[in-house]
Amino acid sequence: MSAPTGIRYQGELHLLQKEIMAKYFAEATAIAQGNGRKAAHLLIAGNPVELLRAFDVLPIYPEVNVLQLAVRKGSLPFIQKAEELGYATDNCAYVKADIGLFHAGYKTPFATIPKPDILVCNYVGCNVYLNWFEHLAELTGAPAMNIDIPFIRTADGEPTADDVIYVVKQLEELIVLLENVTGRSLDWSAFTKIVERSARTGELWAEIKAMTQSRPAPYDAYFDSVTMMAPLYTLRGTEEGLRFFEVAHREMAERVKAGTGPLPEERFRIVIEGPPPWPRLRVFRDMFTRWGAVAVASTYSTVGGLWEFGFRHDPAHPLESIARHMLSYNVCNRTFLQRYEQMERYVDEWHADAVVIHSVKSCRLFSAGQGDMREHFVRDRDVPTLLIESDLEDPRYFSEAQLRNRIDAFFEALEQRRITAGRGAPVPA
Amino acid sequence: MRYAAGVDVGSTQTKAVIVDEDQRIIARSLTDTGAYLVRAADRAFQSALDQAGLRRDEIGQVIGTGYGRFKVEFGDTQVTEIGCHAKGAWALIPATRTVIDIGGQDTKAIKVSDRGEVLDFAMNDKCAAGSGRFLTNSAEAVGLEVSEMGARSMDARQPVRLSTVCTIFVESDILSYLAQGKRVEDILAGVHSAIAARTVALVRRVGSESEITMTGGVSRNMGIVAALTEKLAMPVNVSPDSHFTGALGAAIFAMERVLAGPGAFAPEVLA
Amino acid sequence: MTLTLDPAFPSARYRDVIEDRDFPTVRADRERTGRAAIGCYPVYGPLELAHAAGLLPVGLFGGGNRIEIAHADSRFQSFICSVVKSTMELGFQRKLDPFDALMFESICDPARNLASIMSRNFPEQAVVYVHLPQNMTSPATADYLTAEYRRVLASLSAVTGKTVSDDDLRASLQAYNRMRAALRDLYAFRDERPQDLATGELYTLARLATLMDPLDVTPILHEALDAARARGGRMKDRIRVVLVGSFCEQPPLELIESIEESGCYMVDDDFLLGWRLFRRDVPTDGDPCRALAVAYLDDSVHLSTKHDLRAPRAKAIVDAVREHRADAAICLIAKFCEPGLFDYALYRKAFEAEAIPHLYLEFEEKMWLYEKIRTEVETFVESMLFR
Repeated sequence: MSAPTGIRYQGELHLLQKEIMAKYFAEATAIAQGNGRKAAHLLIAGNPVELLRAFDVLPIYPEVNVLQLAVRKGSLPFIQKAEELGYATDNCAYVKADIGLFHAGYKTPFATIPKPDILVCNYVGCNVYLNWFEHLAELTGAPAMNIDIPFIRTADGEPTADDVIYVVKQLEELIVLLENVTGRSLDWSAFTKIVERSARTGELWAEIKAMTQSRPAPYDAYFDSVTMMAPLYTLRGTEEGLRFFEVAHREMAERVKAGTGPLPEERFRIVIEGPPPWPRLRVFRDMFTRWGAVAVASTYSTVGGLWEFGFRHDPAHPLESIARHMLSYNVCNRTFLQRYEQMERYVDEWHADAVVIHSVKSCRLFSAGQGDMREHFVRDRDVPTLLIESDLEDPRYFSEAQLRNRIDAFFEALEQRRITAGRGAPVPA
Repeated sequence: MRYAAGVDVGSTQTKAVIVDEDQRIIARSLTDTGAYLVRAADRAFQSALDQAGLRRDEIGQVIGTGYGRFKVEFGDTQVTEIGCHAKGAWALIPATRTVIDIGGQDTKAIKVSDRGEVLDFAMNDKCAAGSGRFLTNSAEAVGLEVSEMGARSMDARQPVRLSTVCTIFVESDILSYLAQGKRVEDILAGVHSAIAARTVALVRRVGSESEITMTGGVSRNMGIVAALTEKLAMPVNVSPDSHFTGALGAAIFAMERVLAGPGAFAPEVLA
Repeated sequence: MTLTLDPAFPSARYRDVIEDRDFPTVRADRERTGRAAIGCYPVYGPLELAHAAGLLPVGLFGGGNRIEIAHADSRFQSFICSVVKSTMELGFQRKLDPFDALMFESICDPARNLASIMSRNFPEQAVVYVHLPQNMTSPATADYLTAEYRRVLASLSAVTGKTVSDDDLRASLQAYNRMRAALRDLYAFRDERPQDLATGELYTLARLATLMDPLDVTPILHEALDAARARGGRMKDRIRVVLVGSFCEQPPLELIESIEESGCYMVDDDFLLGWRLFRRDVPTDGDPCRALAVAYLDDSVHLSTKHDLRAPRAKAIVDAVREHRADAAICLIAKFCEPGLFDYALYRKAFEAEAIPHLYLEFEEKMWLYEKIRTEVETFVESMLFR
């Protein structure tokens, strides 16, 4: 069923994003074609991109590459290639798509991804990351480093002092590795400027996130947040990245003033947990918009960093603040229960009516145990909660009819209860 | 007297129910869905009309439900089968607070309010595990009709353990047990136990609040009902009209709209 | 009579004990010593620290094939491995009552989430979480892990109220050194004379070691080694295999026996690897926490859950095949086990490159029918014997 006419998902920031991402991928392709510049492959979850930028190394995120493949409906052949090579149906499809991509010479419809000159495995929560980059190291032969980020595991929900020291020391080792690979030494003043831009970018992003507390929310904090996330990782620390967020901030602030949202009528405000089904993003979005449901917050938009609760990079303590960003200011390195708390804050402070948990088969970090999450929200917090399942990268797990059925049943029931609460239902015979 | 109807287009069968203002069932019909959903809906509806001796224009509202709910072309609107099973089970047994429906393709557990509204639900529809399809395959593997399974299983002495509820692999497990000389009754009880265990896990997600009512065709299998009762340690209601629960629920929703008058309900969904 | 059914062998009397989820050995220990127990989820946790803090460290391997999962299914999805669910189920069925604490480590994503969910649902057991390092090349790692072990020790002390001295730690290091040495000797014996020690028997003993104080179980291990040495069995016409993939969720004992009975001598395996982690004794001089940390970094065996970029992942397995003069490798991987499945992709490549015949088998702890696996193993063995 197609979306109703008159609903535009494309704002100014969507168009700008397309433009700057196209430029980013052109830069990547130029490196692949051999312009002498270096490329590092790293992961999103809490990343030291500022250090890479200080060395003029282009950050390449395999997660971004494969999600782009999925969005363009091209992920399946790469996944199947990896399965032919011995990867299991139960392995994360992001990894499989990336392995398939390697074997296809890293050629995609939108770019040729440069082979890594260095593999930076920032182990932030996700254990699959370790497997992924270990496999890539064996395939590519590139120098590789595991940046070990101790998981949040203390009663106060904070990293220990020894954790911070350990991470800072590893970042210093990363600097040495980057110096060896690029043949130049770290320009500390350029680095602090980059960190300063990251701080300002984070500030803008935090304010943009807070704007969805308004009624109506000016954008969808799930479906439109993912548009803003790509530059947050690929271009954070650059002038271009900062300008993008200034534009986004301005556009969204205007919409708040004008009282415009992404839909003609905002009927339900929801918090969405879990990665999106990239291969069927539009269809999935339509299943919510037909009910007037808009996401006011999402946990997925904090995978690469959590800025809405006060964190900022600190140019006066660049390595330490990057360490803290990687240790505790992102959703992946925090405990499952801390995610419940994060979602509760969203429900309370962003005034949401319900929670939708999108469970994805590939990602056990997000998904394992979401039944308990649902239990907590329904039973302990009395928040209507819907649990649905598909996958983030593999189109074979998206069952349109089944998803539609569950989503319809959920909003139908919410709608029905509103009517009852509002009018008083007919009395049974 | 005013009338309303509900048509439930399921994957294998289509059911229609007509109710009057007092929510009494005055006609019910059942037909195979086949490949053409639109025709099946029409056939079921016409058959119910004939039974009731009514014309189409005497029906105030029609609501479609089931997987094929958008194919009820003469319908005024659609409601999901979750909503309809909740409403229908409550109409049959007003003390119902939890509904269990093991359908052909999926299994649902629904928490219901004292007005038959859906408070919460959980579904298992990722694969056929624990659903009616699993029963059908198991019946084949032991050489019985599905309708015989319930009664036969009551003679079990030592139910076997099934290591999987995957409907594809259960056949080879059943064959292994048959080769070991296990009794058919014990194997059937094992199948029912496995399905019940799977179902109870789903029920626990929404809470097993009394009274529990089972709807849908599988509720006629006494072995499953017995296994569920045992695992829940609570009685499970079954109604002779359980097969028509969805259509009944849809008919009651339709009658609510008739009684409320035009324009009384929320605006139509956007698409 | 096959070897595994020899009722006179020391392991025979423990066959049921090792699968008994009422944890009789734990209850008996508490009655005798008064101390509390800590359930240790796979793969590896610093047991010595718990022991020194006055706890009995006990291996927690889910519900095996004895527990029906009735509650945990609603919390974890169907594509999550069984051991995560059955471990949670133990909590729902009050089988964790004998434990005052639980220990988890960062072995994989579902295990990490399980730690949180268990702490929420079962507040009676204190949850202690250990972050084992994954950067094996940094000079900073030994400092980090030493500090981590000190932090964990403090948490464990808080459970028992006991102040732990370095001498207490050294005594516990010594106790586990001796237990592991005894297990190593049994493993070495099996490699040399597999006809005189069935893997089912060895497994029972190793599993028993996860349920008792090392000081209590070591004499039993010695007794078993003596009994095995006294046997004079005839070598059967079987292939020698190295088995990998079963480092966390454990296969039923009957499955292990079925594999051997179908024509194999297992000459190396990774069952219960966390409890056999160190190649040599951990030094007891100097700072004991540092000694334990350095042993993990430099002297521990190959693990699916440890990512050391200094060598290709499959190298340790290929080396094991050569060292143990194995004819083939069997990858016995738990259903839905992500680390195991990732490893398999690399092992497969290496096996093909090194011309090592291998067999891939899937299992889950909740199994009672073994015909399919027997057939697969028999077919594989036949293909090897008739080359």
